Amino acid sequence: MSELINLSLTDQILGLADKSFSSKEITGAYLNEIKKKESLNCFISVFEEESEEKALMADENIAKNKARPLEGIPIAHKDIFCIKDKKTTCGSKMLSNFISPYSSEVFSKLDTAGAITLGKTNMDEFAMGSSNETSFYGNVLNPINEKLSPGGSSGGSAAAVRANLCSFATATDTGGSIRQPASFCGVTGIKPTYGRVSRWGMIAFASSLDQAGIIAKNAKDAAIALKYMSGFDQKDSTSLNEEVKDLQKEVDAEQEHIIGIPKELIENIKNDQVRDSFKNAISILEKDGAKIEEINLPHIEYSLPAYYVIAPAECSANLARYDGIRFGHRSESVSSLEDLYVNSRTEGFGREVKNRIFIGTFCLSAGYYDAFYNKALKIRNLIKSDFDEAFKKVSSIAMPTCSNSSFELGSISDPVEMYEQDIYTIPANLAGLPALSIPSGTADEMPIGLQLIGNYLEEGRILNLANKFQKLTNFHEFK
Amino acid sequence: MKITEQDLKNISLLSKIKIDEETSDSLVKDLESILTMVNKMDELDTSKINPLTHPIENTQTLREDIEKKDIEREKLQELSKEKDSGFYLTPKVIE
Repeated sequence: MSELINLSLTDQILGLADKSFSSKEITGAYLNEIKKKESLNCFISVFEEESEEKALMADENIAKNKARPLEGIPIAHKDIFCIKDKKTTCGSKMLSNFISPYSSEVFSKLDTAGAITLGKTNMDEFAMGSSNETSFYGNVLNPINEKLSPGGSSGGSAAAVRANLCSFATATDTGGSIRQPASFCGVTGIKPTYGRVSRWGMIAFASSLDQAGIIAKNAKDAAIALKYMSGFDQKDSTSLNEEVKDLQKEVDAEQEHIIGIPKELIENIKNDQVRDSFKNAISILEKDGAKIEEINLPHIEYSLPAYYVIAPAECSANLARYDGIRFGHRSESVSSLEDLYVNSRTEGFGREVKNRIFIGTFCLSAGYYDAFYNKALKIRNLIKSDFDEAFKKVSSIAMPTCSNSSFELGSISDPVEMYEQDIYTIPANLAGLPALSIPSGTADEMPIGLQLIGNYLEEGRILNLANKFQKLTNFHEFK
Repeated sequence: MKITEQDLKNISLLSKIKIDEETSDSLVKDLESILTMVNKMDELDTSKINPLTHPIENTQTLREDIEKKDIEREKLQELSKEKDSGFYLTPKVIE
């Protein structure tokens, strides 16, 4: 049955429909593989019995010709998405005892579409990290080379897809947390337009930047999964009330592409292999008929500093809710209310989360608000305007996902060096644009990604371009 | 950018997180390194630019004003270690 887990989502849907195999078989095969590869530490929880039961129900639905679009497809959710009556830890000690009283919209939509949740994937604590090393539950190993990081914060989801532990996985991206791990693990990851997918029941880190998306084997699979996850949700005040396009159709449609290349940024890439691989990827698309245009994003180099004010500022406000009283870790050693707050938070949060809360608190405090927070918001406006200008003449923008391939676990201790992992991914979050990463070559024998950024609500266009690239190359193929 | 001892005290107080002496040196090093990176923002003159708090212009949609019971109080309170008669319990705040 091991060949079933190697199949793409597209082939799994077809195989289940024509009864070449059952959901029971495919679910069993994934559960076996999860056990076999437990040492990768991809999962925080696995729902073995429940998945097996749901698989039987799925097979019944298929037999009765009542199959839903993702009927019987085994998937995984990042442990940032609440599932009713299930533990949702967000990779933190703070939520190690948190049993969610309701379900996230992302889970509900995919559950309603018939997908089976095998378990919940490991992640950096509160999605803050780029290596998966900040998880309270231990880091995830990169399935391609276990000495290396799978990237973060959605490292568990990316590694689980790469190791064939699920058909696809949900993930979230605040500054690159879908695209960077997708790049490190040689899989496809997409962060849609801000507001395209509901944030209801998704634990907040930085609310104006957080967006849920998909990590999958290829662009076609990602398009199918994203289609069933997207849509307006009244429960999320930032949800976009816009029609959900048929991404499944659009990914394969005939489309013309004008790709914008920020020339200066590309020439400044320090890693030769990353730069050469990027140029090679672009020439493949150009030979296939895409038009290439040079563009200018003059303020992009200010994305990283602006982000590391805005994200920590929003994080410090969002994480103020963890007070030890209503839910989450509650300290045992308290004699006053102040003790309860301080001890619960000091014991419950890890080092990186504390660093970000401290930075955010500092930037929002009296005397610093204008110099830091307000300044960062103004720069955010400049960055958004750069993109608006560029999209007047191009249909997508290409750049590398990351300036390097995966690094050794434990090798980066300087926080700024770690933050620089996200220099190419952060701009799309600041502007709220859809962006994806697809495998486009290797550096130091590990995969690297090509990033495609689209205009607002143009997920279909970048997925179409990604699918084109994957038809012409085999960087995304793995067993 | 330098972080003073007073800055550390302030952020610890405001964020309600203890900073112990053992780690305070390395914390200061981390914070200073982050703030030095952030200071690159000063290279830009943004005096004529409006701040952008949110990437998408969107207005809040309102639902019908009908009572919904999606989440029960009892269910939410099961998550707390200390509660009584529908109240959350904390250490005494009034002497």
